Amino acid sequence: MSETTETRSSETRTGETKPDAAPRRRLPARLLHLLATQIELRMLLLIIVVMAVLSRISPYFLTTNNLLNVMDQSVIAGMVALGQTLVILIGGIDLSVGALTGVSAIMLGLTFPKLGVPVAVLICLASGGALGLVNGVIITFGRIAPFVVTLGMMSIGRSMAYVLSGANSIGNIPDSLAALTTDSVFGIPLDFLCLIVVYAIGWVFLTFAKGGRTLYAIGSNAEAARIAGLSINLWSITAYVVAGLMSAVAAVFLTSKILSIDPIGGSGEELDSIAAVVIGGASLFGGRGSIIGTLAGVFIMVFIRNGLNLLNVSPYWQGTAIGSIIIAAVLVERLLSGGRSRA
Amino acid sequence: MSLLALTEIWKRFGATTALAGARFTLGAGEVHALVGANGAGKSTLSRVISGQLQPDSGSIVLDGKTMRFAGARDAIRAGIAMVTQETSLAPDLSVLENIMLPRLGMPGRLDWGAMRREARHLVTRLGAEAGIAIGARVRDLTIGQRQIVEILKALALDSRIIIFDEPTAPLSPHETERLFDMIRNLAATLHGIVFVSHRLEEIFALSDRVTVLREGRVAADAVPTRELTQGELIRLMVGRELSDIYARAERGTTAPVGTSLGTPLGTPLGAPVLRVSHLSAPPRVRDVSFTVHAGEILGLAGLVGAGRSETLETIFGLRPARGGTIELDGRPFTPATPREAIRKGIGLIPEDRRGQGTVPDFSVRENLLLAHLGAHRGPGLAYRLRDAAVRRLLALLGLPEQRLLDANLLTFSGGMQQKVILARWLVLSPRLLLLDEPTRGVDIATRSSIYALLRRIAAEGVASVVVSSDFEEVIGLADRIVVLSDGVDVTSIPSALVDIEKLGMFAAPRSSAERTHTVLEGLVARHGGRAFWISVEHGRVFCFDCVGTDAEADPGFAGGSFPEIAATRIQEALARKAPGFVTEPRNGLTTLLVPIHGRRGHDLGMVGLTLARATHAPDGAALARAITADLETETEREAA
Repeated sequence: MSETTETRSSETRTGETKPDAAPRRRLPARLLHLLATQIELRMLLLIIVVMAVLSRISPYFLTTNNLLNVMDQSVIAGMVALGQTLVILIGGIDLSVGALTGVSAIMLGLTFPKLGVPVAVLICLASGGALGLVNGVIITFGRIAPFVVTLGMMSIGRSMAYVLSGANSIGNIPDSLAALTTDSVFGIPLDFLCLIVVYAIGWVFLTFAKGGRTLYAIGSNAEAARIAGLSINLWSITAYVVAGLMSAVAAVFLTSKILSIDPIGGSGEELDSIAAVVIGGASLFGGRGSIIGTLAGVFIMVFIRNGLNLLNVSPYWQGTAIGSIIIAAVLVERLLSGGRSRA
Repeated sequence: MSLLALTEIWKRFGATTALAGARFTLGAGEVHALVGANGAGKSTLSRVISGQLQPDSGSIVLDGKTMRFAGARDAIRAGIAMVTQETSLAPDLSVLENIMLPRLGMPGRLDWGAMRREARHLVTRLGAEAGIAIGARVRDLTIGQRQIVEILKALALDSRIIIFDEPTAPLSPHETERLFDMIRNLAATLHGIVFVSHRLEEIFALSDRVTVLREGRVAADAVPTRELTQGELIRLMVGRELSDIYARAERGTTAPVGTSLGTPLGTPLGAPVLRVSHLSAPPRVRDVSFTVHAGEILGLAGLVGAGRSETLETIFGLRPARGGTIELDGRPFTPATPREAIRKGIGLIPEDRRGQGTVPDFSVRENLLLAHLGAHRGPGLAYRLRDAAVRRLLALLGLPEQRLLDANLLTFSGGMQQKVILARWLVLSPRLLLLDEPTRGVDIATRSSIYALLRRIAAEGVASVVVSSDFEEVIGLADRIVVLSDGVDVTSIPSALVDIEKLGMFAAPRSSAERTHTVLEGLVARHGGRAFWISVEHGRVFCFDCVGTDAEADPGFAGGSFPEIAATRIQEALARKAPGFVTEPRNGLTTLLVPIHGRRGHDLGMVGLTLARATHAPDGAALARAITADLETETEREAA
């Protein structure tokens, strides 16, 4: 039974992709081949196209001010999307990231007046990571669907944010926190540099570290990974811890940016982050996706919002635009991967 | 006129020819067995019949009309249904809803009352009243009951031809018997039954005619089953080509053979690497003991469900052991995770290559280095460390080096994938390899090279344990075979001493072993002494079962042992094989031997009774008749 299905599918697939059949192709064909196989390249091209179109439509788009604005807007979404990428790579999903941003921002707000900013930031990060750990442990050892567990955590996190803050906003954010978003190095905003550094670390981890490859293996075939001796429980939990931690990092930048802490903070980030990861070419079934793809996904979403603003399109249209892009991105991925895409 | 006739069926998958001019005919009211070794093409042919595969050429004639099925749906509409091991039922719906599922999609109001009546009628027609409640949820049914629902579903569609693809693999003995009764009922109502199997016992118990496939060709074309013996059928299935592929020539088949009772014969090849004693891991593994030596290939044979895979998984840390001990190089070893086992030099090639072996999103190189990654200490990948080993292995396996960078392992043939997964472990230079059905879904040529590779690493001192459902393969490949039956090891025997028939009897064929055991117990209860079931061949006794505790009446063998006749205590009786009690001149034991036969007359060895003193012996001829009659009553009682 199995022999026939395997041989058949292998035959049709070699027919489609022929990885080593034509080593000497003409340049355009080779470029196309590269585009079809390298998702990072495809993303870069997409960004360039989007930028080109937007700069044609609005002369204001390519101005320094607007580009700084775009960078600024991508930091918070980018931080959350990085954690979401790891979770989606193992075939999971984290719906609680927005709520965790909210509750860890409140932790920051409650502690900085007495303990000072550095300790308060640590407490903020620790609370995000700890709630992520709770997610990971319950999902991994309780064998409960990540959707359910993180949906519960989303509700708990948001509720805790209201309880802890008494539903009040916290103001008087110290300058040292504000400096995170106002300072710049060589003209590049400090918060954007942080984003790039975090993504660089993420890329190195996913490409060159055992843990990173383990995440891919878990999402692709957890049973095979287990038999090969990989620590699938440890790394699955780690993915959720990182997602919680990155939500808290986003909370710090959010506080620094809007100079106020509100229990509603971070709302909608869960869907934005999932959208960025999916636009970036990841499969919701796990095993496929890339950190650079996610970053590109974040940029594309910010560009579209920014572009629509510049064109004075009603903000109510933004959802339609982003939604269409999500669906189009998955369709394109499926076409390019020869029907293999599973998302 | 035949119901269905396939002629000159060709089917190729890439470079592999799965069917090369196969023929198959099926008459109404017939159970036709489709037989062949792994990779012979029987599954491909049954999928052609059921419309799941389209042949490259050839004709399918159903009821005198030439058919061309575009898919399984066409075949179902034409009245051909297939019942497979993995059922296609909706687990949350009731039995009734599943049976009538095709009707739920039709427009108009559903007449539940009529559907219920119809379903009950089908259940009666199948003779499955005892087994199935039509209101039950399918999720709550056993695998055997689900199969019945599949059959009912086929009947509800007015299928006239039903294909059973290895239906008994997951079934208990009782369920198997019940299934066979239903299949006979179906044949009696003029259904045509295609029975795909490689289990000889079942073929002889059930089928009217046999078609044997070998490498896509018909080796026996619709031969009446009663004209065949097991030996002939095996020869037809295996052929000369296959028996040559095991590459055991360098070891020779006439290894020096010891005579000690119950211990492995032949010269041990090296120090013991793995010693398993009284291992239990419920529910499947109950009491398993065996030892593997360096440089030895040990076969773990038995039926599906005997606990073979589970034994390997327990040794590998995938499944907790409840009792017993595992020793690795003489030191106790209780792995909690595969990683611990891997770091001690153990590798596992799992049964389900797609589900447990390949990582589809990884390149071939990363798939090959997956176990390296698991074994590696440190945060990085250190793939480079293995470059030299990888290159050496690729050459050994005949894999071109540039294919290493292929993005997807699934573009490889099943055989190539299996080679890569083998290489995944060989890269780590393991000391013990556990292989679960290593050649399933692998073409003959690759099988041969996998065998050669296993031989080669054995020569380098690696110990291997190979689980295989293919008795032919176990005998050809392994140096020694441990047979498991119901989670207990029943014998450990050099492969040079057994053949497929005897291995089958050790593995306790469900329909015969139980009733023989009942008869043996009855003999001892009435007459005392020792009662046993044996087969005598090449000057050796193979004892499949032995009952009784009378030390004085010890015949010189026990269940699972296989001494030479000269080493037993009842040489005279075994040499003469005369009817009636034979008394030994040397020790005064007196023995009655009664040849027994299967339902279709094939040889099933002998049942014997040894008593300590001739004076107490009852009338031999009468007892022999009684034993034969007892065996028949047991058979009938089971069939009823």
